[in-house]
Amino acid sequence: MHRYSPIKFISLACITLVVSLLCGLFSGASDIPPSKIFGLFASGHMDMDMDHRILQMIRLPRVLLAALAGACLASCGAVMQGLFRNPLADPSLIGVSSGASVGASCVIFFGGVSLIGSSLGLPAIAIGAFVGGLLATSVVYKLATSVSGTSVATMLLAGIAITALSGAVTSLFSFFADNEMLRRISLWQMGNLDGADWPRVAAMALVAIPLILVLPREGQALNAMLLGESEARHLGIAVEKLKRRLILLTALGVGVAVAVSGIVAFVGLMVPHLVRLLIGPDHRYLIPGSAILGAALLLLADTLARTLMSPAELPTGVITALLGAPFFVALLLQQRQKIVV
Amino acid sequence: MLEAQHLSLSISDFSLLQDINLQLKPGVVTAIIGPNGAGKTSLLRLLCGETKPSSGEVIFNGILLDQWQPKQLARILGVLPQGSPLNFPFTAREVVMMGRIPHSTGLEKDTEIVDAALESVGGSYLDKRPYTQMSGGEKQRVQLARVLTQIWEPDDSGDRVLILDEPTSAFDLAHQQLTLDIVKNFAQQKVSVVMVIHDLNLAAACADQLVMLDCGKIAAQGAPEAVLTTELIEKVFNVSASIGVHPKTGSPLVIV
Repeated sequence: MHRYSPIKFISLACITLVVSLLCGLFSGASDIPPSKIFGLFASGHMDMDMDHRILQMIRLPRVLLAALAGACLASCGAVMQGLFRNPLADPSLIGVSSGASVGASCVIFFGGVSLIGSSLGLPAIAIGAFVGGLLATSVVYKLATSVSGTSVATMLLAGIAITALSGAVTSLFSFFADNEMLRRISLWQMGNLDGADWPRVAAMALVAIPLILVLPREGQALNAMLLGESEARHLGIAVEKLKRRLILLTALGVGVAVAVSGIVAFVGLMVPHLVRLLIGPDHRYLIPGSAILGAALLLLADTLARTLMSPAELPTGVITALLGAPFFVALLLQQRQKIVV
Repeated sequence: MLEAQHLSLSISDFSLLQDINLQLKPGVVTAIIGPNGAGKTSLLRLLCGETKPSSGEVIFNGILLDQWQPKQLARILGVLPQGSPLNFPFTAREVVMMGRIPHSTGLEKDTEIVDAALESVGGSYLDKRPYTQMSGGEKQRVQLARVLTQIWEPDDSGDRVLILDEPTSAFDLAHQQLTLDIVKNFAQQKVSVVMVIHDLNLAAACADQLVMLDCGKIAAQGAPEAVLTTELIEKVFNVSASIGVHPKTGSPLVIV
């Protein structure tokens, strides 16, 4: 299998990210001339006409949020796949996404249309989702942890159980919800970045940026973990501490990403997988590579979601799934031909 | 030196090992033999600190094994497990390079050692081959090279120990021989080697000391000539065997 040099790949991914940032800023329901976009970065003292306001209050936070959430989901996905020693693992395996669904639908259900319609609605849903995600993950983690340490195999099974349970609870909420609530719940589950505003960008950045800087440092230890837990221990890695730290970090990262954007499918699963095919499984490059490509891809998907049926918007998660699933199947088919067992 | 003092291990009232006393001196190759379920792998796990004994102690270079700093220990204690669950397409070189994780000797030095280790196991040709596409024997050789890389050179932390769990199980005759040569070579550099091995003749050919386990107890311990007797093999393995002498090396030869 041909591999690309990690440095070359990461440089290319960076260029893609910059291009998609600009694409995201250029395109949208109203046409804004490119000169204004560059003017936005160039000078602080500008006349605040309509175009500038759209750029500053709507498009810029939205592209930043998409990029940060994408980077966060993809790098957490890479870490999860390493931790579970399974190239098809996904951040939602530890129950974050399904727990967040319960949290969000709980807020929508009990908050009622009056809360959801108000300006407090979206932040309340985000907080509900975050709390739900963390609760579910901590239950999964507790179930899998005994005196002899955390078993990733048990964690996988516990994750499946909690996901099933959460799914049932979410369905119950949906069942008893009225039409408007039901619409909100299902829209949230589709994954959407339409609530992007500066406070959300700040919350996401506060978690995503440290995470993206810290996670690659665990790359070498994660490589050793792929050999097996006892092998990693014999290589001098403090395995239990590493697992605890990484589960906490990914739960936090995915929790916040899901809270601000709903469930955006496939980014956490597909991006690391794709990057691994291109540059190999070394986590020291895989994690930063996934972060950059994840940012670019979610940004492009979100731009498509905004523009395909403009002025109406499609849910971003639908676009990522529509594009991601066939792509993933193609990857699997291609791999199946190459694998020599 | 790695020492076991009165080691016992029981898991939920079931006794796996009882009162094991062992001394693994630098430069000595020790082979642990015994029938299935005798506790060979359990003993190895105790010796490398993976399982904690129910009672007794493992002392490594004068310090209790669990008191060692993980990173420091990793520089002088290499462990080859029976099989690794690695299912990511690392190249052979990348896998072997992981043996240098506990060290900080710089890329140039590490590359040199990795080259030498791959060559020593006859795996230079595997260099860029993905691990997931190798045969069982090739995988085992790459893992062996990784463990050798880990303890390739003497370290300030103390005497080195190499622990191998059935290192030859996936190998053809030539590679079995190669492995035993590597083991002897390491022993000559003052490394204590301890391995579980099923083939009694291989054990006799390369070990200075045999430890015969039977139902969690040491049935016999000492030079191959003293341990491999008709009576002991009859008693422990439940087969009647004749003992000959290897025409070239003079070591005992078990014929079943």
